[in-house]
Amino acid sequence: MEVDLERERVQEKIEQTDKADLVVGIVAEIDQAGIEVLVESLRNFPGVPRIVVLQKGLSTKSPATAAEGSGKDAAKDASLAVLPWPLELGAAATPVEIISEAYRSVFAASDKLEARACCIVASTLESATAQWICQLLRPLLQEDFDFVAAHYARRTFGGLLNYSIVYPLTRCLYGKRIYNPMGPDLGVSRRLYQRLLWANGNTRPGNGRIHPLASFAPMALCRSLKVGQVHVAARVDTPTDWTNVGPLMSSVLGPLFVDMEINASCWQRTRGSTLVPEFGLPLPVSREPGKVDIGRMVETFRLGIRDLREIWGAVLPPSSVFELTKLARMTPEQFRLPEDLWARIIFDFALAHRLRTINRNHLLPSLAPLYLAWVASYAREMDAGATQAERIIDRVALAFEAGKPYFISRWRWPDRFNP
Amino acid sequence: MWYQAKLALYESATRFLTGLARLLPGIVALVAALLTSVFLAWIIAKIVRWILSGLHFDEKLTHWGFASLADLSPLNSPARLVSRTVAGLVIIAGGLIGLAAVDVESTTLLVRSFFGYMPNILAAILVLFIGTVVARFVARSVLIGAVNMNFQYARLLSNGVKWLVIVLTVAMALEHLRVGPVIVQLAFGILFGGIVLALALSVGLNSKELVTKSLDHEASPTTNATIEEPFHHI
Repeated sequence: MEVDLERERVQEKIEQTDKADLVVGIVAEIDQAGIEVLVESLRNFPGVPRIVVLQKGLSTKSPATAAEGSGKDAAKDASLAVLPWPLELGAAATPVEIISEAYRSVFAASDKLEARACCIVASTLESATAQWICQLLRPLLQEDFDFVAAHYARRTFGGLLNYSIVYPLTRCLYGKRIYNPMGPDLGVSRRLYQRLLWANGNTRPGNGRIHPLASFAPMALCRSLKVGQVHVAARVDTPTDWTNVGPLMSSVLGPLFVDMEINASCWQRTRGSTLVPEFGLPLPVSREPGKVDIGRMVETFRLGIRDLREIWGAVLPPSSVFELTKLARMTPEQFRLPEDLWARIIFDFALAHRLRTINRNHLLPSLAPLYLAWVASYAREMDAGATQAERIIDRVALAFEAGKPYFISRWRWPDRFNP
Repeated sequence: MWYQAKLALYESATRFLTGLARLLPGIVALVAALLTSVFLAWIIAKIVRWILSGLHFDEKLTHWGFASLADLSPLNSPARLVSRTVAGLVIIAGGLIGLAAVDVESTTLLVRSFFGYMPNILAAILVLFIGTVVARFVARSVLIGAVNMNFQYARLLSNGVKWLVIVLTVAMALEHLRVGPVIVQLAFGILFGGIVLALALSVGLNSKELVTKSLDHEASPTTNATIEEPFHHI
């Protein structure tokens, strides 16, 4: 009830606001001082665009909304407005759902304000948040880019799900090397967010087939829109919840696989991959402190081989199951999951998702032990110190590209082509 | 006396032959009805299977999320299951028609009690079917969840949950069939309680280490897991 009233008040405020060039939605936890720095940086943006900042957690009744609190100049400045942003979220909303809902909400506001572009700030970065937000906006407003993704500085053991599946899969399917295709910090042009709004129609959140996070990059690439990426600092990671890897696989890979189905005619025409325009200076890979213990992950994988063989056998060809069985017998010191096998596993799971070989609620969580096997293999290789993280990630991406003909054959003839 | 014995034999033979002659058309009608119903069932099953194949029923059922139904069907084909069920119903109907031709009075009674009992049978079949599907789904969910949580007894836990659901389902189905309700309730209570106790004991004995770890975690929230392990998935 309170949220509805708050939303109505915000709607009124948006309707009172004139047209804007840019809408910035802030989901990340940024303190008041950080907001003030951001507002100041946006006010000094070249060309003085009219900007609306939607900030989660503010209240319309609050005497010190960011606009008022950010200084007298900002209050006077008609080119910038900071509005509170109530998001309609369930109590059990996952981070992916929160960000997806944030995107839908910011699109609706951007559409009302006829903004040329919009962007979401969902991550807390290690340094200078205001600076990188401006970096993300610059290609959108000054060079008419349609999709600008953040390329976070790498940490050896950070963003592993992205670097093991999301990035190599997007790269091999759509032929462009976007390192963080699912953001979550992204800048989007009017052309692109309107397409997404139209595609989703008026469906309630969660019901639409198009998923904002997974759909941006493929939609932009398949329609040959202008795509770029900006080098930014590393994200501040939240602690890992080892009991939650299965649901995590579903929430991240489910939308990605659904999107593959939608864009099947597009990605089957693409071969190889090329770089996209990059902005800013790349930062070196940093290594997290802490002891690397792969024992638990290897143990989970062995349990999977023992107990989930029936499920994996329905999804993977016998040759893959045989190779996994061999892998389970290796000691942690020898443990290594070959890149080509990993690529084929992901392709086969994507195909099983499409064919609904087993219930989708079971399929993606059952991938978790295999993913942990990849993480263990990666960590062991990193711990040996022989190879750099970037080289391993590149090897994985190349294995995905090399395996694409296999995937296309299985996609087109799932019954006939089963090695 | 010889005459009287001859008369009694003659009368008994006449009664038997008259009865047989009266019953024979009914038996012939029963056999004819059964043969006709088998033939009709075969044709109808063929037509049903042909229509369902044309509609890609098996593939559509998998797409709708009933993939596990294929495992319960003959030759992994739900279309075949449906066609055979239809054929079975046609044969049962033929049998009842045939029985009605033999003895109208008792058959009418039989047919009436059969159709009176039919809703119970259908409800029991439905309960069994839904229960089996739910048991398989829940068991698989528990298995995957337990493996992902690194439980060594994942399979045991999954089987335990599956049998809990199946025992509950069978008890409900028997309750619908009104077969020994008291015995069923008692047996269900003993079996259900037994499975729960067995599960609790096996899980409890196997998870001493897990509980200790969990209590340590509660006691000191800055656990080693977050400090020592540098892995981050997203």
